[in-house]
Amino acid sequence: MRPVIKASLHYLALAVVSVLWLIPVYAMVINGFKSDLEVSSTPVLVPPTQFSIGAYVSVFGSLAKPLLNSLIIVIPTSFIAAFLGAMGAYFFYTLSYSYSRFSSTLSDVLFSLIALATFIPYQATLIPLTRLIVDMGLLDTYAGIIFAMLIFYIPTGALLMSMFISVLPRSLVEAAKIDGTGDLKIFLKIVFPLSMPGFISTLIFIIIQSWNNFFIPLVLVTTPEMKLISVAVEAYTGGYGTLYNDTFAAAMLASIIPLAIFIFLGRYFIRGLIALGGGGKGV
Amino acid sequence: MKKGTVILVVPTALFSIILLYLVLWNAGVSFMNWSLLNPTPSLVGLETFVSVVRQFQFSNSLVHSLELSVSLVAIGNILGILLASLLYFLKSNGARSIFMSIMIYPLAISMAVNGLIWLWLYNINIGIDWVLTKIGLPQFPWLSSTSTMFPSLIVVSVWAYTGIAALFYLAGFMNIDKAVVEAARLDGAGAFKITYKLLVPNSFNSFVISTALLFLFSFRIFSLPFILSGGTTNIFLQTSVLYMYYLFTVEFFSDATAVATIITVIATIVIIPYALIMIRRWIRR
Amino acid sequence: MVKVVAKNLSKVFKKGKVIALDNINITINNGERFGILGPSGAGKTTLMRSIAGLDVPSSGELYFDDKLVAGNGKLFVPPEDRRIGMVFQTWALYPNLTAFENIAFPLTNMKMSKEEIRKKVEEVAKILDISHVLSHYPRELSGGQQQRVSLARALVKQPSLLLLDEPFSNLDARMRDSARALVREVQNELGITLIIVSHDPADIFAIAERVGVLVKGKFAQIGNPDEIYNDPVSVEVASLIGEINELEGKLSNEGVIVSSFKFPPDTYRKDNPASEKIMIGVRPENVKLSKEVINDDSWIFVGKGKIKVVGYQGGLFRITVSPPDSEEEIVTYTDHRTNIGEEILVYVKKHSVMVFNQ
Repeated sequence: MRPVIKASLHYLALAVVSVLWLIPVYAMVINGFKSDLEVSSTPVLVPPTQFSIGAYVSVFGSLAKPLLNSLIIVIPTSFIAAFLGAMGAYFFYTLSYSYSRFSSTLSDVLFSLIALATFIPYQATLIPLTRLIVDMGLLDTYAGIIFAMLIFYIPTGALLMSMFISVLPRSLVEAAKIDGTGDLKIFLKIVFPLSMPGFISTLIFIIIQSWNNFFIPLVLVTTPEMKLISVAVEAYTGGYGTLYNDTFAAAMLASIIPLAIFIFLGRYFIRGLIALGGGGKGV
Repeated sequence: MKKGTVILVVPTALFSIILLYLVLWNAGVSFMNWSLLNPTPSLVGLETFVSVVRQFQFSNSLVHSLELSVSLVAIGNILGILLASLLYFLKSNGARSIFMSIMIYPLAISMAVNGLIWLWLYNINIGIDWVLTKIGLPQFPWLSSTSTMFPSLIVVSVWAYTGIAALFYLAGFMNIDKAVVEAARLDGAGAFKITYKLLVPNSFNSFVISTALLFLFSFRIFSLPFILSGGTTNIFLQTSVLYMYYLFTVEFFSDATAVATIITVIATIVIIPYALIMIRRWIRR
Repeated sequence: MVKVVAKNLSKVFKKGKVIALDNINITINNGERFGILGPSGAGKTTLMRSIAGLDVPSSGELYFDDKLVAGNGKLFVPPEDRRIGMVFQTWALYPNLTAFENIAFPLTNMKMSKEEIRKKVEEVAKILDISHVLSHYPRELSGGQQQRVSLARALVKQPSLLLLDEPFSNLDARMRDSARALVREVQNELGITLIIVSHDPADIFAIAERVGVLVKGKFAQIGNPDEIYNDPVSVEVASLIGEINELEGKLSNEGVIVSSFKFPPDTYRKDNPASEKIMIGVRPENVKLSKEVINDDSWIFVGKGKIKVVGYQGGLFRITVSPPDSEEEIVTYTDHRTNIGEEILVYVKKHSVMVFNQ
């Protein structure tokens, strides 16, 4: 085959995949801008003839509070989880120093535990979690949801940051140790600043994950004014008779923040994912 | 070990222990008979498990969960390798990262929102089927037929999660010494041969990780079937986590915890080896 | 200033599968400059890290003066309490801190006022001639400057022991000599105990007054560098401390025979050959090639050779010569050019051939 044809086929294959992959987001973008009238006459994949923000206006009223709630939950959750997780991750790094059997068993157990917390179907803790939050008197409060999310996202932060911290040169930490520096100070002054790109990756990953978390707010929120955006959109599933422009406008509002983060800081998100796969660098 | 060192791990350890406490508490209740009908529970050993396992919905939902996970692992790995090799052989780094981003972006959107969107795309009058009929193909029933409902769920999860597999494989491919690939190319090997003779066999790590994560992510999908089926009771789309949530909402607490325990055990079987591989290969190196 | 004593020090890795240090016994005196020389994998770095407290020996004891700092697999004094300054092979400068902050870092762990810290940093920076780059980040410094910042950081806290781990291997060749001289000078001024680990004999000769040659986790020989250079205990030690020609020969009445070369008894440096099969070693500077017969008692004719390889290095020609029809090779340096294939007379210096009885 001639190189030109080969290259064209290569790009054609990727273009086809890309088009297939982009259909849902395309639908989301175009249909939110259809008017009620146009919705009843056009299919989902045909763009609107006229630009209308009517759907956004009609859903925004009921989604404004959930959006605000989500921000209030997600920002502290992700910063706290990523930072405290990073501290825990540095502890693993110091454990891997000593070759004693005790410390290697301890790190195996702790690491398995944080992996369990990261990947467990968290729905499986539904009943005890709900009970714990109710007993703490935190049902329907920001603090309660944040606390519940931290149970899963601090370990996630520790798991991701372990990957990023493990690639730092060992001699830097050793030099600081010889200089009589305590581990807390080594973490704050050396390790944390140097793993900043990894920290941002972890942060972005946790922001997106916690923003999109559906189950925890579903069970820990019982009053409408405390609803988070991820759950609030459920109201727009509708039947087949409802107007789909509202559904897509709601979907757009719920996704705009994680999508914007993905578009502008996607490489950090991707690095976070790669770290889950056991590597801090590459791609 | 000094105080300053131990302080570092306190938050992570504390929250991990809370999680462990939740898991154990849950397991404990699964050996009782707590429900709406029986508000003062007592220990009944394995009785709850026995009665739960006998129910049709239990095996039905567990089969669905495993089917979903296994299909996603199979399709995700195969498609992931294909897409990763398409990306690997791109010459431009910019193009590679743009295409990669397109494959991974579904993860930035919540599964609940994905569910909303796909509900409409699966509409047999105005959704994807409208395009199919336009170009002369027959309609596909998607969610409106019981036999195609579950495959429709698989399609959405493949769309959402294949990007991760492609990403892990691409990362694995990129870690292989470029000189080896170039030598193979000079020896006249084509892209296809390089992929299956050189890239894939040297990416065992990627295979292990992507299999573990695809399994775990799909095993705990909740909101997608929840929204696609409009609740927890559609037996054609009910997965284990949905069934467990259903038992909770009808206040069969011990039954719910028994299902949760089984879910946890299955997930743990996958998670622990993953964690140990990670820590041996990466943290201790 | 401290005296470092190791008693039966051993270190094993991977549950005993790898023996890094094997029963090390050594006393490094107060204010001494001690070198540890060895091939890679001999345990040099492990020994230094054990002394620093970064590794814990599996058995044996390590004393600083009379204080037990580590013994029988336990750490009694952690690195931070050993009053050590260390220069790492990679220098290990904190990339997120300026040169000033790097040097000041150890001091910030002590109770010391900002003013005092600044004074101390500037003092040491002046000695090491880096005052003008204190506000720069490590990446903005040249290799030599980075190395001096690293040295400054090690010295600023007035350690009683300075550890140098291959400190010059990342420097340009032309910078090494001045860096070595600087280390020597600073040590002289402060009088601290110094331990340098290196695989490069040039480092050892420039800095150490006593050197231990580490082979397979054991000290093969300890002594002053010249002594080891001239009287190594084995071929291996001999080649570690400088270039040497190793030749395998047979003992006869007239001396050691290597192919058609003959090394008569008056070429032996010290020992006499004791077995029939024998290893001998000749330093390149003790070999002379000549087209004409040399009438000088101090050079002894060993045979006619054929020039095999001619190289050029450091202003000298590096010549490899072999007995005709033989694979044995002798390397030496001359200042005049010779041609490959030429026949030439080979002489060695009287009492210069080392004899190693196996």
